[in-house]
Amino acid sequence: MERSLSHIALFAALIAVLGFVPQITLATGVPITAQSLGIMLCGTVLGAKRGALAVLLFLLLVAIGLPLLSGGRGGLGVFASPTVGFLIGFPIAAFVAGLIVERSRAPIGLAAGLGAFVGGVLTLYAFGIPGMALMLDKTLPEAALLITPYLPGDLIKVALTGLITHSLARMRPDFLPSRR
Amino acid sequence: MSAPFPSTGFRLTNVSVQLGGKPVLSDLTLSLSEPRIGILGRNGSGKTTLLRLLAGLISPTQGTLTLDGIDPARDRKAMLSRLGILFQNPDHQILFPTVEEELAFGLRQQGQTDTAARAAARAVLANEGRAHWATASTATLSQGQRHWLCLQAVLMMAPATILLDEPFAGLDLPAQSRLTRRLAALPQRLITVTHDPASLSGADRILWLDDGRILQDGPPDAVLPAFTAAMDSIARDDHDTALPT
Amino acid sequence: MLALTSPVQTPFHRLPAGGKLAALAVFTFLLFQLDSPTALALALVAIAALHLPGGWPFAAHALCLLRPLWPFALVLVLWHLWTQDARGGAIVLLRLTAAVAAANLVTMTTRLSDMITVIERLAAPLARLGLPPRTLALAIALTIRFLPVLSDRLTRIAEAWRARSPRRPGWRILTPATLATLDDADQVAEALRARGGTG
Repeated sequence: MERSLSHIALFAALIAVLGFVPQITLATGVPITAQSLGIMLCGTVLGAKRGALAVLLFLLLVAIGLPLLSGGRGGLGVFASPTVGFLIGFPIAAFVAGLIVERSRAPIGLAAGLGAFVGGVLTLYAFGIPGMALMLDKTLPEAALLITPYLPGDLIKVALTGLITHSLARMRPDFLPSRR
Repeated sequence: MSAPFPSTGFRLTNVSVQLGGKPVLSDLTLSLSEPRIGILGRNGSGKTTLLRLLAGLISPTQGTLTLDGIDPARDRKAMLSRLGILFQNPDHQILFPTVEEELAFGLRQQGQTDTAARAAARAVLANEGRAHWATASTATLSQGQRHWLCLQAVLMMAPATILLDEPFAGLDLPAQSRLTRRLAALPQRLITVTHDPASLSGADRILWLDDGRILQDGPPDAVLPAFTAAMDSIARDDHDTALPT
Repeated sequence: MLALTSPVQTPFHRLPAGGKLAALAVFTFLLFQLDSPTALALALVAIAALHLPGGWPFAAHALCLLRPLWPFALVLVLWHLWTQDARGGAIVLLRLTAAVAAANLVTMTTRLSDMITVIERLAAPLARLGLPPRTLALAIALTIRFLPVLSDRLTRIAEAWRARSPRRPGWRILTPATLATLDDADQVAEALRARGGTG
């Protein structure tokens, strides 16, 4: 119980702290925020349940008025903005990513990459696109068009989540909460 | 400060601990009841494992361990008034954003209401001339101040025995002497785990731990010179090339 | 911790947090029922008027919080100019701005501790599902406590990297940062257990 609680609380803090890191610009010029990578890692490292709870706790802190979303955003206003669908999708994305890592027999890096793709791209977009369509009064294809510029960055994050989870598993072979 | 719980001390019977299949502590049979006890050893001697064992954070692989007749790993509730632990790194011990919350937490764990616990925390701060600390952020305290807070948070719960893990690590000289003075004045039984023989000169009893066994057990004037001589000879002859097995 | 609560005291700071949140929910629901630009513009003016008691610094803070909306505003303006549907664009933009501004107003006028109290009250029914309000409050406190610790840790890791590499660490910082968080979490679990655990 204490371990679950401290893992959840510290990973919620990690997501927040990764939002303070200046945006990482890859060689191709695609900017990516470390924060959404942190959300994927919560799932692949902590597993479905604890990963999703860490993300929920993070969102709770944002909602009560701490400026922890990347770019120093926070408060209730972000839940009334066009990106609200993505915020709602975050914990579910972490849950799906964690579930795939827990259930898959594939090597941990591949499983984490797959989890990040299904959770952090497919699942997240399934919430993000309708949210944006609703808030901006657009059709689903129109909303999908608006977020396509983010797709390449998100695919790079999928690969990074796989790589990072793989090296974590190598450094702590019997330690990764998601694979116990 | 309220009087500590009457305590008969630790009793270890044939205790062994294995971590990841590797023996770390081997067949320890000990009775620890003196007011000031030092556990001395090199890095890797098993002293941190012994501390975590005494603290009830891990259970022995074989043998039994009790404090006042109670298994510290089993009955955490009973340990709250019997056993306090001062961790080496204050950043791992401080759990709350503000000083008042940190001090009040232990009392709430012991069953006091939030209001009573916070009032007690403020009273202690005022008594120590630190009333202005109550709402201060724990992250802004200096290293020595964080050590003070950690020890005070433990003392709030008035345990009869306190385990200290390298209590002087990372403190500057004034902070070290302040802590020495503060520890000396405590009515509690103190068990200090360290690699530094100098900090144990005032102890009643010293256990020298090596490779998971007690190499020597006695008063400081017997154990400390032998330990220092052994460390000097190791540093002279051994270039530390062997990898841990 | 620097919350978004405004240091400028307004009459709204003294209203109960639960009441403000309920009013916000009703207001947001109504915004989505309105579909005339005039009505939505009036709603936005009303929200703007509520900022007046705080004076200029308060209003400036509020405008600052609206800044993340400008890319969406730009997209909407271009889109609706292109489709020649100015009325539709005005409805969406006014509604969005009013909803976000109203939510921000509640955030700016409610202290963090009051919000946490409301959260604990709202979460009370979860006790039956195995989440006592005290555990939730403890989790919130732990997270806030470890924000500066982890932030500092990240800086140290980046410095250690830069001490031995001419390049910026970029994403490579994430592996040691996650590892450090896992290790810290284990230590915190022990510290928590040492002081009576979560029970």
